[in-house]
Amino acid sequence: MRRAHPVIMDRMTDERVSVNTILALTAWAAAAVVYVVARAQDTEFAMFWVFGLAFGFVLQRARFCFASAFRDIFLLGHARNMKGLLLGLAVGSVGFALVMSRQVPLTGLGIYPPSANVLPLGIHTGLGGLLFGVGMVLAGGCVSGSIYRMGEGYVASWVAFAGVMGGLLVSAYTWNWWWEAHIATAPRMWLPHWLGHPGALVVTLLGLAAVYLWVVSIEHRAGVVVPPVSGVRPQASSQPTANTQTESVADDLRLTLRQLFVQGWPVLPAGAVLGGLNVLLFTAREPWGFTGEVSRWSIAMASIVDVAPGPLAGVESLPGCVLVPSDGLFFNHMLFLVFGMFFGSFAAALGAGEFKVRLPRRPVRYAQSLGGGVIMGYGAGIGMGCTIGAFFSAIPSLAVNGWVFGAFLALGAWIGTHIIQRIE
Amino acid sequence: MTPTKLDVRGEICPYPMMRTASALKRLSSDERTLEVVTDHPPALETIPTQAARLGFRTDIEETSASEWRLTLTRKEAETEV
Repeated sequence: MRRAHPVIMDRMTDERVSVNTILALTAWAAAAVVYVVARAQDTEFAMFWVFGLAFGFVLQRARFCFASAFRDIFLLGHARNMKGLLLGLAVGSVGFALVMSRQVPLTGLGIYPPSANVLPLGIHTGLGGLLFGVGMVLAGGCVSGSIYRMGEGYVASWVAFAGVMGGLLVSAYTWNWWWEAHIATAPRMWLPHWLGHPGALVVTLLGLAAVYLWVVSIEHRAGVVVPPVSGVRPQASSQPTANTQTESVADDLRLTLRQLFVQGWPVLPAGAVLGGLNVLLFTAREPWGFTGEVSRWSIAMASIVDVAPGPLAGVESLPGCVLVPSDGLFFNHMLFLVFGMFFGSFAAALGAGEFKVRLPRRPVRYAQSLGGGVIMGYGAGIGMGCTIGAFFSAIPSLAVNGWVFGAFLALGAWIGTHIIQRIE
Repeated sequence: MTPTKLDVRGEICPYPMMRTASALKRLSSDERTLEVVTDHPPALETIPTQAARLGFRTDIEETSASEWRLTLTRKEAETEV
């Protein structure tokens, strides 16, 4: 699908582009200062800051929204974002399989890869995915979507994020019940234990291909039309566009920079890049995910006013985005990842001229964002992750829990789609 | 006749598209155009698609930083002209 952005951007005046470039360069310079300061403290802080910036930048440039990937299948019969998501999962799966085959060469011994998101699978996985799916559609974005939209100036996304923090805290109060009743005894199901690494990878890729065929068939049934948007006639402009012959190396360079920083990215390269970044992050330390870190902030805030949940049973034994009790420290490598995602999106939006403080005018939207956020947060708490940790990093971990969480995300998104149509 | 206007600035995803589709369905049969103002870039893709399904053509114009006016015109009206 041809994106609308390039068309619009072609008509942006040179002066506007220059102003945006200066704003963006200032933001990137500030990011570089944070890098230097963070590195002086701990090299891992600096590394996670850079990963965060990269994730935020790509999410914003491609508007890579997991909530719409699921929702638009049901709402519009569109699979644009879902296709990018599936490619990201495929790239991630190949990379994770390579890394894990080094970590656990012998799959018959019942050993698990130490940091992959192979999580206990049970009712909590399904209910977590279901609640998360409903919440993300109500709030108009999942946790990563809310973070990049916070960077673009969407005030409702700040409200949604506050809701997520609240929901994670509520889930922490109920965690010990979930642990006793379900999670402690739930099996961790890792495909390579039964199929070996190559078999597990092949099954995962076939599964992704099957989902791809399903969403393409939905698109065909919906009769997707990609209409010629008639803002297309580019105004007289000195800008080189993809259709014009460039004349010099400088022109070529300018075009490339514009495609990277100003025009919207197509979703497929973005999905592949996000999948690749996830593999790099997994190689460096652990897969992409951050709701555990966000829960650490909620629990720390609750402990300031003395309402922190008590000790959380079993969390030290679990990988992924499981709840993190407050450790009394402020900084943590994951904090740099989350702030990096926000700041990377902010800088990307500035450069593209897409930053704007957007305030919903209907009061119901604030309630929706907050309520959706709380529901999402609770789902992420018991599901041990969000669309990233329990899904985008779990399917590449060749873990069954990623598929179950994903199926219930879809069901939740379907329910959410019905709800939002009633509160138009 | 001045075209019906719809201002969906500030709306969260996916309401710019949903409210536009509803407004198009509510247009009386003698109204040819709907003008939509939005500051939600993803709507620049979803609105033209939904509009086309309902028989409208879309013109997009950037009116200021991160704000666009979409003019949706009924396709039959066009062919009559």
